[in-house]
Amino acid sequence: MEARVRALKYKASEKRQTSTFTKAIIKKKIFNLLKNLFRYLFIIGMSYVLLYPILFLISNAFRDKVDLLDPSVVWIPKHFSIESFKLANEILGYANSMKNTLVILIPSVIIQTFVCMMVGYGFARFRFKEREILFGILLFTIIVPMQTIIVPLYVKFRHFDFFYIGRLIGIFTGKPLTINLLDTPWTFYILNAFGMGIRSSLYIFIFRQFFRNMPVELEEAAKIDGCGPFATFLRVMVPNATGAIITVMLFTIVWHWNDYYLSAMFFTDNLPLSVMLTILNERMNLLNNLVNANDIYLLRSSVLEAGCLMVILPLIVIYIIGQRYFTESIERTGIVG
Amino acid sequence: MNVSQTLKKFLPKRKMTLRQKEAMYGRLFILPWLIGLIYFFIIPFINAIYYTLTKIKLGDNGLEFTFVGFENYLYAFTKDPNYIRTLTSSIVNMLYQVPVVVFFSMFVAYVLRDGFKGRTFARTVFFFPVIIASGVVITILKENVMGDVNTAASGSTTLFRVENLRAILVNSGVPIWLGQFIVNTISQLFDLTWRSGVQILLLMAALHNIPKSFYEAAVIEGATEWEKFWKITFPMISPTLLVAVIYSIIDYFTDYGNYVMRMVVTQLNNGRFEYSTTIAIVYFGIIMIIILIVNKVIGRRVVYLT
Repeated sequence: MEARVRALKYKASEKRQTSTFTKAIIKKKIFNLLKNLFRYLFIIGMSYVLLYPILFLISNAFRDKVDLLDPSVVWIPKHFSIESFKLANEILGYANSMKNTLVILIPSVIIQTFVCMMVGYGFARFRFKEREILFGILLFTIIVPMQTIIVPLYVKFRHFDFFYIGRLIGIFTGKPLTINLLDTPWTFYILNAFGMGIRSSLYIFIFRQFFRNMPVELEEAAKIDGCGPFATFLRVMVPNATGAIITVMLFTIVWHWNDYYLSAMFFTDNLPLSVMLTILNERMNLLNNLVNANDIYLLRSSVLEAGCLMVILPLIVIYIIGQRYFTESIERTGIVG
Repeated sequence: MNVSQTLKKFLPKRKMTLRQKEAMYGRLFILPWLIGLIYFFIIPFINAIYYTLTKIKLGDNGLEFTFVGFENYLYAFTKDPNYIRTLTSSIVNMLYQVPVVVFFSMFVAYVLRDGFKGRTFARTVFFFPVIIASGVVITILKENVMGDVNTAASGSTTLFRVENLRAILVNSGVPIWLGQFIVNTISQLFDLTWRSGVQILLLMAALHNIPKSFYEAAVIEGATEWEKFWKITFPMISPTLLVAVIYSIIDYFTDYGNYVMRMVVTQLNNGRFEYSTTIAIVYFGIIMIIILIVNKVIGRRVVYLT
């Protein structure tokens, strides 16, 4: 009798347990479902906000004159036209500006990445007394932007005199020897070569974080094999830093491409694309001999949007190709403080 | 190999301890940066401070400087009708924009963290602003697409119409300041999302660096999602949060859309070099102080694992 009762009790409790168990599973499932639903809603909404301007640009740039006045055209133009692109190309001088941009960009990116990598390695792997204080100064230079020192820099490049060598010569010849580096890409090359290019401090910081996480054994092995510090750096560290290099290169490409403040400061001719885009609006009346005045007024914003699209298109292509490496390597190297 | 051998030839043959050798090579590695720092940063910075104490005129042999003492600073603070106003409005805007940006990026990083279908697409889209937001394109976009108040762009649309929302909030008895805050935030949603690209990257990297074992232990102990977030995730990412906050502050202040920044650039374009430099230096002095305060206040609560 007693045994039966106990058996019944046991069965009941078992039943209760399984039911709470299934309940927990169901609860978890509902929670996950809601979480996913919410996540997708959020992502779709945010994608709309983030892609809206690009879609807007594309939609407007391809419109014909007729569509610009037609209120029934919302997203997809009824009459496709690439006239805006032709006009934007005319004002931007696309091929020439692109050439100017690349002349600045390609050497800059290579020099900047290499120099920052070297400095970052120096900060990460060697111990010397003044390291911490110098690193503090490096962080300080991230905060102080170019605008505060742009005028002295401008003067410096107008009468460029490397380490006062020209002035030294001047003592003998009577007139100090200076070179005008403005309007040449050398302004950028020199700044980058000395780790002072656009956002260089940030890249040094990223490389330092990356090299600090590299295993010491790599270096020790190289040392045993007879490598000096520079050989270790070039042969062991650089090939292993591909992730960080791609990240920094993408950043340098993007920020050099988008820079218009420094370029506008240092260049009066041979303007790169980004600067041309800023003055596109003012140059709209150059179109007078191509289209009549009324049309210019109509096409104004459409041409501007076509111009924007033409300027960012190469970047978007690079980004879409490189984004996998980019996001993954950032996650892996972790630009974390 | 060759580089270090040739270097050895030229360097003094003095006997050095291993430590000294290491220090020397370290200094050699950072030498380019150090030269650049002195030649292209510290000297120009001192020059800039000197400029603010002068009046600059374009003369026959380039620029001519006359020493005037603190006149430029006095002008900025007592005579210029715009400077103080734009400066204070910039700071006040920063005070509420930065927290919103940081919370938003934290939220996005948390949502994008674990694997789900379409994650690659989502990440591509969310990091999109990093590509575009730093350039001139964003300024044009803002003026053309968002219909910025300063320009009457034809055919522009407004993405977020909030006038009705304000009325609804006021009618439903929400305090006016809170309603204003909500309306302001929503009307700047575009701006905020476009500003948070780098912060999302930073926070996502931090989230990935948290050891999985921490969460496993917490699950065994029976922690809920809410507890897991506040007891593990939040303390673990707090150093990065500090970095994100400081980055947001710098990013906000150095943005070209910022009115003080615009003032600096316009004054420079008008040829008033000394005044432009003066307002820039005062401005960044103030940012420095704000960053130091923020660092002190938040830094105390940050948890470092090691």
